[in-house]
Amino acid sequence: MSDVVAQQGTEQEPEIDLSIADAVIGKYIDIPGNLMPVLQGVQEEYGYVPRVVADYVAERLNVYPSQIYGVLTFYAQFHLKPRGKFIIRVCVGTACHVQGATRIVETFFDKLHIGHAETSPDLRYTFEKVACLGACGMAPLAMVNDSTYGGMTVQKVDEIVADYNQRPLK
Amino acid sequence: MVNLTIDDKQVTAPKTATIYEAAKINGINIPILCHDKKLKPFGACRMCLVEVEQMKGRQIPACTTPATEGMIIRTSTPDIIKARKMVLELLLLNHPLDCPVCDKSGDCDLQNLTYEYKVNSNRFTDEKFNHEIDYNNPLIERDMNRCVLCGKCARICDEIVSFGALTFIDRGIDTKIGCEFDDPLNCEFCGSCISVCPVGALLARPFKHKARFWAMTKHTSVCGYCGTGCNVTLGVKDNKVLTTIYDEEQGFHKGQLCVRGRFGYQFINSAQRLSKPLVRKNGVLSESTWDEALEIVAGRLKGGSNVAALATPRLTNEELSLFKTMLLENVGTKNFDHAAGYAHAALTEGFARSFGATASSASILDIQKSDFLLVIKTDAYETHPVVGFEINMAVKNKGVKLSILSDKRGKLSKLPDAKTLVHRPGSEIALLNSIAKTILDEKMVDASAAAVAGYAELEKALSGFSAEAIAEQSGLNAADIKKLASEYASSEKALIIFPTGQAYTGHNAVLASALANLAIITGKYGKEGCGVLCLSEKNNSQGAVDMGFYPQDGGLNSVQILDACINGTVKTLFVAGENPLVSYPDRNKVKAALDAVEFLVVSELFLTETAAMADVVLPVCSYAEKEGTFTSTDRRVQFIKPAIRKSVQIKTDFEIFSDLITRLGGQPPLRPALQFEEIAANTPGYLGMNHVSLQKNGAFAPVITIPAFVAPQALTPVVSETGKLALVTGSALYHSGTLSQYGEGPMHVCPEGYIELSRSDASAYKIAENDLCTVSSATGSMQLKAKISLRMPAGVVFAPYHFSATPINSIWSGAPVTLVTLVK
Repeated sequence: MSDVVAQQGTEQEPEIDLSIADAVIGKYIDIPGNLMPVLQGVQEEYGYVPRVVADYVAERLNVYPSQIYGVLTFYAQFHLKPRGKFIIRVCVGTACHVQGATRIVETFFDKLHIGHAETSPDLRYTFEKVACLGACGMAPLAMVNDSTYGGMTVQKVDEIVADYNQRPLK
Repeated sequence: MVNLTIDDKQVTAPKTATIYEAAKINGINIPILCHDKKLKPFGACRMCLVEVEQMKGRQIPACTTPATEGMIIRTSTPDIIKARKMVLELLLLNHPLDCPVCDKSGDCDLQNLTYEYKVNSNRFTDEKFNHEIDYNNPLIERDMNRCVLCGKCARICDEIVSFGALTFIDRGIDTKIGCEFDDPLNCEFCGSCISVCPVGALLARPFKHKARFWAMTKHTSVCGYCGTGCNVTLGVKDNKVLTTIYDEEQGFHKGQLCVRGRFGYQFINSAQRLSKPLVRKNGVLSESTWDEALEIVAGRLKGGSNVAALATPRLTNEELSLFKTMLLENVGTKNFDHAAGYAHAALTEGFARSFGATASSASILDIQKSDFLLVIKTDAYETHPVVGFEINMAVKNKGVKLSILSDKRGKLSKLPDAKTLVHRPGSEIALLNSIAKTILDEKMVDASAAAVAGYAELEKALSGFSAEAIAEQSGLNAADIKKLASEYASSEKALIIFPTGQAYTGHNAVLASALANLAIITGKYGKEGCGVLCLSEKNNSQGAVDMGFYPQDGGLNSVQILDACINGTVKTLFVAGENPLVSYPDRNKVKAALDAVEFLVVSELFLTETAAMADVVLPVCSYAEKEGTFTSTDRRVQFIKPAIRKSVQIKTDFEIFSDLITRLGGQPPLRPALQFEEIAANTPGYLGMNHVSLQKNGAFAPVITIPAFVAPQALTPVVSETGKLALVTGSALYHSGTLSQYGEGPMHVCPEGYIELSRSDASAYKIAENDLCTVSSATGSMQLKAKISLRMPAGVVFAPYHFSATPINSIWSGAPVTLVTLVK
């Protein structure tokens, strides 16, 4: 089945190589309850779950496409659109909120020109407000991918954006 | 049994019952929204909350909690009523409350419960839902603003229909029911979701704003399409059938219907129905009177054996039997047949030889009681969708194993752990013989088999059918054949199912006998969950066989009748409801026969292609306008009575035959009930039945089997040619015969013929979806739209046969496999 390629890419989606999904499915195909690990696996590989991949997973695992969509929309961890290389999360939980997280969020909006749960057109950034990052002592807190930035200020937002603008996309 | 107390009443209930079921069987009604007895318990709506004393008076859902010994349950304390009221208030909070324009009004569980619990105000406030309404398909409207998220639609689509079109999307307050990626609904449109929807979120679009629910009268009837024999309730207003109404108590199928049964009723009140007799004058069919038309016909029927008749197995038993009596006694001819002859051969020749009976000994009810199902061709789902539901439920809920021998994959192949052996088209009989051979070789034969007549001959005749030899010509491997043989033979109960019909020429007497051999050799017949079930095509196909409406004692069969029309020995042909020009193989020959015959009389609902060639056309009644009985494929004899009054200018076939008998000097019975008395007295299995006893419930006509082995003949394998594709014909899911062309529902979803081909053939021939292709065989050529699908193997193409506009019989002359070329 590895010679199967996506029959049609939608406008946003470039041609997608299904052999990557094939490898992931191959790992779990014989395990009962394999839908979650397969979906997590393909998201890991593609960065999100493209529709053709979801349909392909449905076909290979013999699960209804609708059911897969139900799972993908139920869990916040799955993404149906391409995501940025740098995922910026700003905490708006109680501790961060009282420390002025709102202004941090607004500054990011201004600098990146994207809103909550949006991705910049060049696929550099995805911005998300999150409820708690579990480090209230460092409030207000932001994360870029796995790096943590505590004691955020408007000034620091500038520095972070400048820093990540420099980094290569590929 | 467990003993418990419900509302201070001492009751008993089966051990497996939930509190809801225990209450229900003891006459105590607990309100429900999300529960359906056909589906697994879900517990989503919280309407069925009850108090159980042992659970410290907590409120628990009755539909998911098992009833246990000594439980003390209260179903309607003030606290419970308060809780239910709040559930309703919360459900109504975002609901649009547009009952005045909602077609569900009057039949709506939410409305009824709101009324019952007197919820006349709401303590909460919130915005109404603002979901987009899905008007994208012609049959099912989805208005998620009215949805209460009971999940019944998604569950029935999974648990019974096994299509899985609908699911819960998102979560929390955003949750809604929808399709993958929020696509518009595009499914098989059986409408099961509509039938169980407790509110107006899912509605039948053809019925939209047609009538209020309470303004219709409800008439029970039997579906007039396939042989399953589903019961339907027709909603009638102003003498028009406006819709089908779901009744969960109805029939073995508990009210489940397929797309044809639910949405194909429009032919009954079609504006295209013939309204007056037509007589050909100066070459033109012109309106006439019954007296004139019948006098002409009666005059022609005096021709004795130069008269022949073809009838549709959609007529009632009474009509077919009276027609036969008329032909034999008043006309004096033995030349009559139905369903192109071969479509009933599996019963009248195959089963007759193998089981000594012209009917299946197994019934549809055996499907869920079996351990192992062997289905010949995945088309069994398309030809008999409600039987398909039974297979789905058997496999998914009862853990019944399913193996399929088919020339293509299909919906049944997708069931959990279903094994589909996709063989070369036309090799099924050889394969079945090789399975029998394997069973013999591996000593898996049942002890009873050796005593059955013909055992030694069978053993000898099977010698050439080793799994290895057949594997090669069928494109399978020998190990798979042997595995299937041992699975079948080693199952305690095993049932074989195969569809027959005018498009399935390969499903003939030889196939039926090969299947019967398998059942007899392993002793799997005549017991619960065992046997061979022939799915016959039309609603009364089995009845036509039971009435003996096929050639016997030297009468001509369909093919011979058409030949005799051409060579002039048959001068008058009476076609009752058949449309051979579209549905019989080899259109050129049928056309030549109808052209050649001196006098053609057609009784029909519509001016079909065949009727248009007639000298006299007699307008007749649909099943909704007449009284009589239909016999389903598993010999359930069911009574139908008129749901609407027929228009004054049309007659039932029964009235026509009666009138003709009188004109021919005979004495017809006064009414169908009297004809049925005669049938009951003379037809094996029908004894003791009468219209009165059948009115309430249908009855099974028992089948007595006398097994005998039929030794297989040597078979010539189907040859293939390079550059040619193997065309197999069949039925499309949405259609039945040619009648469904007059049902708007089926025509909305499947309006025209097509040719289905595999992805690899499509790319080899550079054909894209919906491309118009020229399909040519040795007998002709025609244009069909391409449909590319995953289920077709390379080198095999499929085309359905129902369509007058694209009659497949112009390239198909009746062979099970036709070699064709395909050009874009």
